[in-house]
Amino acid sequence: MTEPLYYFIQQLLNGLTVGSTYALIAIGYTMVYGIIGMINFAHGEVYMIGSYIAFIVLAALALLGLDSLALMLIGAFAISMIVTSAYGFSIERVAYRPLRGGNRLIPLISAIGMSIFLQNVVRLAQGSRDIAMPSLITGGWSIGPEEGFHATLSYMQLVIFIVTFITMTALTLFISRSRMGRACRACAEDIKMTNLLGINTNNVIALTFVIGAALAAVAGVLLSLYYGVINPYIGFMAGLKAFTAAVLGGIGSIPGAVLGGLLLGVTEAITAGYFSTEYKDVVAFSLLILILLFRPTGILGRPEVEKV
Amino acid sequence: MKRLHFKAALLSLAVVVALTGLLLGVRLEQQGTSLSLSGATPDVLWKMAGAGLFIFLFNLLRDWIDAARGRLPALPGVPGGISQLSELVAVRRLFWCFVIAAAIVFPFFANRGAIDLATLVLIYVMLGLGLNIVVGLAGLLDLGYVGFYAVGAYSYALLAMYFQVGFWTGLVAAGALAALFGFLLGFPVLRLRGDYLAIVTLGFGEIIRILLNNMTWLTNGPNGIGGIDKPTLFGLEFNRRAAEGAQTFHEFFGIAFNTNHRVMFLYLLALALVLATLFVINRLLRMPLGRAWEAMREDEIACRALGLNPTHIKLTAFTIGATFAGFAGCFFAARQGFISPESFTFIESAIILAIVVLGGMGSQLGVILAAIVMTVLPELAREFNEYRMLLFGLLMVVMMIWRPQGLLPMKRPHLELRT
Amino acid sequence: MNKATKHVSKLFAAMALAGMASYSVAADTIKIAMAGPVTGAVAQYGDMQFIGAKMAIEQINKAGGVNGAQLEGVVYDDACDPKQAVAVANKIVNDGVQFVVGHLCSSSTQPASDIYEDEGILMITAASTSPEITARGYQLVFRTIGLDSLQGPTAGKYIAEQVKPKNIAVVHDKQQYGEGIATAVKQTVEAAGYKVALFEGVTAGDKDFSALIAKLKRQNVDFVYYGGYHPELGLILRQAKEQGLNAKFMGPEGVGNADISAIAGEASEGMLVTLPKAFDEDPKNAHLVEAFKAKKEDPSGPFVFPAYAAVQVIAEGIQKAGSTDTDKVAEAIRSTSFDTPTGTLAFDEKGDLKDFSFVVYQWHANGTKTALGE
Repeated sequence: MTEPLYYFIQQLLNGLTVGSTYALIAIGYTMVYGIIGMINFAHGEVYMIGSYIAFIVLAALALLGLDSLALMLIGAFAISMIVTSAYGFSIERVAYRPLRGGNRLIPLISAIGMSIFLQNVVRLAQGSRDIAMPSLITGGWSIGPEEGFHATLSYMQLVIFIVTFITMTALTLFISRSRMGRACRACAEDIKMTNLLGINTNNVIALTFVIGAALAAVAGVLLSLYYGVINPYIGFMAGLKAFTAAVLGGIGSIPGAVLGGLLLGVTEAITAGYFSTEYKDVVAFSLLILILLFRPTGILGRPEVEKV
Repeated sequence: MKRLHFKAALLSLAVVVALTGLLLGVRLEQQGTSLSLSGATPDVLWKMAGAGLFIFLFNLLRDWIDAARGRLPALPGVPGGISQLSELVAVRRLFWCFVIAAAIVFPFFANRGAIDLATLVLIYVMLGLGLNIVVGLAGLLDLGYVGFYAVGAYSYALLAMYFQVGFWTGLVAAGALAALFGFLLGFPVLRLRGDYLAIVTLGFGEIIRILLNNMTWLTNGPNGIGGIDKPTLFGLEFNRRAAEGAQTFHEFFGIAFNTNHRVMFLYLLALALVLATLFVINRLLRMPLGRAWEAMREDEIACRALGLNPTHIKLTAFTIGATFAGFAGCFFAARQGFISPESFTFIESAIILAIVVLGGMGSQLGVILAAIVMTVLPELAREFNEYRMLLFGLLMVVMMIWRPQGLLPMKRPHLELRT
Repeated sequence: MNKATKHVSKLFAAMALAGMASYSVAADTIKIAMAGPVTGAVAQYGDMQFIGAKMAIEQINKAGGVNGAQLEGVVYDDACDPKQAVAVANKIVNDGVQFVVGHLCSSSTQPASDIYEDEGILMITAASTSPEITARGYQLVFRTIGLDSLQGPTAGKYIAEQVKPKNIAVVHDKQQYGEGIATAVKQTVEAAGYKVALFEGVTAGDKDFSALIAKLKRQNVDFVYYGGYHPELGLILRQAKEQGLNAKFMGPEGVGNADISAIAGEASEGMLVTLPKAFDEDPKNAHLVEAFKAKKEDPSGPFVFPAYAAVQVIAEGIQKAGSTDTDKVAEAIRSTSFDTPTGTLAFDEKGDLKDFSFVVYQWHANGTKTALGE
């Protein structure tokens, strides 16, 4: 009798796992948008690069024989975050900074170009084949009866929840408590005014890109550990989904990105679980359209004030 | 005061090392079931070192470089005489006549590959012009334009498959259906603003593609639809052997069969469609409707104050833009002879949008020029083989930085008040 | 139309033809176009085709070429995009190339082959398995790989007669190749009296299949047939094991390479695969495998040897026909058989291999396999 319940729990857990990773990537979109009002389409590629670096670090550590789990995780996270930060920083410097202040569409096209460029850099450097790695963290708990259907929660899923939660908390604290966080919020409010107040807005914007990229690396490492397969094209779809999540939650709002990501993930899992896997993207996008019809600025987005 | 920027140079060197060190310096290799690493070839390492050194020196000696750049003579601008000349209506007319004449005689002198490529360019011109109405003129960011393109292509393909409808009827039907979709989508979503509209249109484009892929009973799903008839010239076919009850072009004119005729005909047909599109859009622009589009883009609130109905105006822009995508889709289906959902992915929308932006939003000549650039560049870059897409992406970035206002930004006769 | 104008127009046509022909009378090289994805998401499969074809060209040239002429391979990138495939086909016509090995994706091969047939260009695909391609009565279109419609029934029959599962699910990747085979499998097992509990498509390129797996688990599925390629099935296997789904999996040749074990690890043990005979494990081909390894290339992909065979068939066809006239070559190809690394190949009227049989293999976690026979 409880089978439908456990099935629902299982799909919910599946959805939350996928949703957490959407959320991590979505934050990068939302932060950049909140501050300079542009869609950073190359963000998905930063996530992809983060995954590659994680693979390289893990493979290198394994080859050196340093296979303690803690060391591998710390190494992968640290190095991957450093490298993607460099990418976030450089992308902003090269492709967006010269275009700031003009029409909003210009940086969008530049970002699409950057995205194609990065995809191909990785393809040329690392080949286009799928690269796979065995799971490092295996096992899990089962929830429910021994006989019949029971839900499972793997340790890796738990790791994803925990890391996502810690990262989100740290970011929220950073934004709300630190000096730089205050500068970020000021920039989001009014970038010209902030500049007049003696804050180096260039640095703030660069920092936004760096933080967004570092979070994409966190997602990259987690997902490489969870799925264990990467290729140079994974960034595109992940970026698209994360972007959708960011808009769903109200672009520019960090809690919104988290909420949007989780909602999107759960919607997909529930659709696939109760209806059909083929239509999960259709349902996800339809949900987005529906929500935007009733809340035109997303779930947690601030209503835009029309200014003359 | 010139000084060495030692700190900045070291920092940028560090960034370059971080960027390239692991990603380019080490290669992951799958050996059987295990993963291993191999170092990059010395060739790559040298390149990395070169890039690092270049960035280091560039930052170190930035003051001198800036000074040297300042001393370079500025590029000669367009002489005032010519720019005044181009304002003259007669000169403009002459210019357009010349362009059109050149486009018409082009296939008789070019080789087959070039004609085919030019046909592809014309399809993108058509798409660019259509999207230009929505993005460039009405100022609505549409990331799902490819959805209407797909609707057009599939309308013709499905009608041809199930009801043996010919190209010309199909063209009308494709335009009408795409317009209907534009209208239906436009109705609810035009309340949204800016990027919210962008993501909804993106979602719509994806939904169309996935539906086409999933509804196998109707659309053959991923197998696509093949054997779509090529267009005919007043009932004359361009085949080696005519179908039942039809006549072929070469029999009618008594010339030897040459498959190049078909390629040429497709090109000329595409050209005719583009010219028709240009004509219609130019007429529309001179109508109150066209003026209203641009007014809406500039200031929506002012428009409302003047008594213009924004929903109505946006909806027409959306619907008319979609119609042209429908025509382009129908022609695309006829040119390919085979369509499948994978031709209508998001990246296609992105490329069309890039054409509009690169052209200089709102400018029609710019769109044409940009469509040529965006289609011909990857073809020219074929020589670079595996570096092709890399260069394409890089060029998109460089062109945006070099000319953010677009290749040929739209100009309007205007007066500026002296202050 | 009067006679004089007719004459003139004929003259023009003749001039045009002569102009075109002058491209193709290159003295002692025969160009072979290798068309497939160099860039794009499926570039990895394009690679398999290119290394196979390049190796064949290299070795044939080393052995003295064809009728004294050297072969020259030219790569054309279609990115598996149908639009670019048509452009590539027109470019190949334009470049005066008369022989094509490719394309890879069926959706590119189909529109391109229309042009080749029209222009008298001979095409052999080493990877496109859609039945539609050779079903249109074309004379110059061949393939050196088996059809979806052949592989599906083989797998379906094996399931019905040997595995006899209680509850079957058929999953595919919503692409031409995967869905085609999956549909054929479904029809075969249904004809044998089984009920398919679940027939569903996933999105190629997706990474998360946990929702689908929970669904399979709930329906107590004990056998899953997957139509598609290895990255998705690898992930499904891996996630199925984590969620504790106890089912046997089976897939077509698209999943049968060592990468699947790299992805799925232990979970790939015991999976069933229908494969053409494993060419790279055939002792006859040991020297070829060595040659690939010496170039640091991986000979294990499903399209490497068929592409090699395609070049060889073209070369020997030209040799037998004694000319590069494609009609004659096509006739020669149909009338004889070829001894290639993929076995002795003979072609039927449609241009398909006369007998291309698939064997059911059992897969092992270390990336090897054992044949199960009938």
